[in-house]
Amino acid sequence: MYRGREGQWAWLLHRLSGLAILAYLMLHIVSIGSMIFGEEVYMSIHEIYDLALFRLGLIAVVGGVLYHSLNGLRVILLDMTGRGIVYQRQLFYATLVLTLAGMAFTAYKVIPRVLGGY
Amino acid sequence: MHVNLKILRYNPEVDKKPHWETYNVECEPGDRVLDLLNHVKWYVEPTLTYRRSCAHGVCGSDAMLINGRNRLACKILIRDLTKDGGTITVEPIRGLKVEKDLLVDMDPFFESYRAVLPFFINDDPVPAGERLQTVEDRERFDQGTKCILCAACTTSCPIFWVNGRYLGPAAIVQAHRFIFDSRDKGTSERLNLLNQNTGVWRCRTAYNCTEACPREIPVTQLIEEVKRAIMYQQA
Repeated sequence: MYRGREGQWAWLLHRLSGLAILAYLMLHIVSIGSMIFGEEVYMSIHEIYDLALFRLGLIAVVGGVLYHSLNGLRVILLDMTGRGIVYQRQLFYATLVLTLAGMAFTAYKVIPRVLGGY
Repeated sequence: MHVNLKILRYNPEVDKKPHWETYNVECEPGDRVLDLLNHVKWYVEPTLTYRRSCAHGVCGSDAMLINGRNRLACKILIRDLTKDGGTITVEPIRGLKVEKDLLVDMDPFFESYRAVLPFFINDDPVPAGERLQTVEDRERFDQGTKCILCAACTTSCPIFWVNGRYLGPAAIVQAHRFIFDSRDKGTSERLNLLNQNTGVWRCRTAYNCTEACPREIPVTQLIEEVKRAIMYQQA
């Protein structure tokens, strides 16, 4: 493994989160699209999403989307302004902090529901 | 002090794939990795193959992947890498074909270099004296002139590892040196070259090039300046 610094990990996480969001979007389209086979099929698929695994997965989805969008803004700053380059490391850490905060808030909302059984 | 010098070795006539070999070497903390390689080659294992020439960070021939980062073997000191009894790993730079041990085929790298027209273009009649330039105009492209073409930046780029057609940071730095030279007239030609799908847009700002440069050129910054030059030229 090449021992790159913040920039390399920011880039790798951006790629991975992008792929993860794409996979989520595909799943989303397929499950919503199942409506064309009628309400029964649609509901049988959506009941699976009530499982704790999928509910907890929401935390990961929020993390992926937040990271990808915030780091996307970071990349725009780098490309469009000379200042972005100077603060690229700080911007990366800010992106991470905001992403983790978003995930923590989602966990705070989701976990009591999973434990409460509804 | 003693260190273990762990080298990724490969002999195309014998080996199917590269393998690690470790040499226990006695050294001083102020020695450079190149001194250790020389010691191994001269006194332990004469078949060890690598490039070096000036041995003082000017010729750019001994860029290697040392402890997971691209550096010049002649510039990095042992005390900055490990303590007594520690291990130092040395691998060939990535993304170029390994010919033997630490020696890679640099031809694709220099092809990319040549592709960006790394020479002064100005067909105006030659003036009687010099082509004068203000201090500010000279300063504009100063960073790019420091490049020694060691390939540490290009071979640290994750995009280049996967896509060898990407011209790479070093070639873009060379192009930058002429694009922002007020005396040069080949700007639009170079910008068009770098606007192709092998050019600057392959850069995904991973910053490995900037971290790797032994001449402390802000490589990513220069690439971004070329990106903006292309963008504003089209606007």
